[in-house]
Amino acid sequence: MITIAKAPPYLTVQDTGRKHSRAAGVPQGGAMDFFALAAANALVGNSPDAAGLEWSLGGGSIRFDRDTALAISGATVSATLSGRDAAPCTTIYARPGDVLSIETIINGRFLYLAVSGGIDVPVLLDSRSTYLPGHFGGYEGRTLKTGDSILLRPEQRQRPVEGFHCAADLMPRYDSGIVHIIRGTHEDLFDGSAWPILTNSAYRVSTASDRTGYKLEGPPIRNTMGTLPSEAGCPGTIQVPADGLPIALMADAPTIGGYAKIAVVSEADLPILAQRRPGDEVRFELTTIEQSQRMLKRRAADLHTIGQLATRAVRR
Amino acid sequence: MTSLKLRARPLGDAAVTITFGSEKSTELLRRIQAIALSLEAKRIPNVNDIVPAYLTLTVFYDALDTSYHVMAEQLLDACQRSDERESSGAPSREHVIPVRYDGIDLESVAATTALSVTDVIARHTARTYTVDLLGFVPGFAYLSEIDEALHVPRRPQPRPRVAAGSVAIAGAQTAVYPLDTPGGWHIIGTTGMVMFDPARDPPALLAPGDKVRFEEAG
Repeated sequence: MITIAKAPPYLTVQDTGRKHSRAAGVPQGGAMDFFALAAANALVGNSPDAAGLEWSLGGGSIRFDRDTALAISGATVSATLSGRDAAPCTTIYARPGDVLSIETIINGRFLYLAVSGGIDVPVLLDSRSTYLPGHFGGYEGRTLKTGDSILLRPEQRQRPVEGFHCAADLMPRYDSGIVHIIRGTHEDLFDGSAWPILTNSAYRVSTASDRTGYKLEGPPIRNTMGTLPSEAGCPGTIQVPADGLPIALMADAPTIGGYAKIAVVSEADLPILAQRRPGDEVRFELTTIEQSQRMLKRRAADLHTIGQLATRAVRR
Repeated sequence: MTSLKLRARPLGDAAVTITFGSEKSTELLRRIQAIALSLEAKRIPNVNDIVPAYLTLTVFYDALDTSYHVMAEQLLDACQRSDERESSGAPSREHVIPVRYDGIDLESVAATTALSVTDVIARHTARTYTVDLLGFVPGFAYLSEIDEALHVPRRPQPRPRVAAGSVAIAGAQTAVYPLDTPGGWHIIGTTGMVMFDPARDPPALLAPGDKVRFEEAG
């Protein structure tokens, strides 16, 4: 069991989300930076789809009531475990009574905590993810508050190596701010000015950004078609409403929408966008679907490598 | 039926959107819904989700186990074959939803449409509607098409919270809010029917193509 000793402003249970319920209008959801959560899972010997905690907007602390391997990943933070430095992307062992404290989020937006075995909350629609707008999933469909205790699933048999640190070259290039995109389903409806603007400009993540979508501020893109008959979108879809300022759909975006879809962020780079804070810059670079899917497979292979190294199944 | 010109495009790394036409029509929507049902019945490997819409059908797949080109080719072929067979898919289900016509906007809808409240209720309960698509929030089914006399545009300012079970109208459509959410439609009544329950299988009461009638609860 773990107990929220001091809840940060935002803390939810997340996993890889719901991938079989879109037809019923259920958003995919899941971790905003699904790579960071999967990497933290790999570091504690979990499978990539184990549930962990998604943490944002400030500091807080969590107490461990059993011996457990843990790892933090994603946003850059200053963290301690009962007074000792807790390094990111590293396998750490906590003793009963140990307290993980996050003082502040220094860079990035979402921090992930994985614990050996994973968080144990009921599975709804194939997932333990919290869907806040629908008040379901995760821990009673809500953010975790001070005093909440959550159960952990049984530990993995493969105990990870204490102190194992994941090399930076196995993680996304969060600092680059470059996000690859492929052409969207409506890219041919935009005039010739749209693509040069989208790919040659710097956009800033607006304060109007949350788990549903990130509004982007920068040069507007001309949208002459208004709204279109609704059709499916997905996390990473960049749509252009009437004001011309693009919106990148994120994890909790509705399954369908009527804005023109100019592009879709490569899944491999969606974590980079997810970690951008309001005011942070992002630049889009066009790629092909073939290249984009290769990048995604490469990320999956990197995650597998992290897991193998952490449990000493292989040496580097 | 004329044969359709199909076009496949990637929707990101893990989905194919197949476009069946450029003009919205009831006939096209029902054909796409029938194709979606027949694709589901085929249980194509690596397919996670099938989302039919007005002009398109989007198939989500596991991108680590296949590629866009393999999926697009396979799906275009499957859609073409299924459409040529003109199968109407599974027979659509019919639902009757009891409604207490006590909505906060009932009077204003009556005033805007120059109808009496009784007439608004009579016209809303008179028709059998069809589910166009699901979306906006889990279990939210867009139902078409309501009596022309009841067409009112969405409210200029959405309400921050509309209660689950609210029966509402906007434009040519009607719907029941499945969850407490923000909403811009005109609320004309309330139902106790549970439109969405994540612990139920299937979670949404309504599916694309289903028929729905509203009945005034006594």
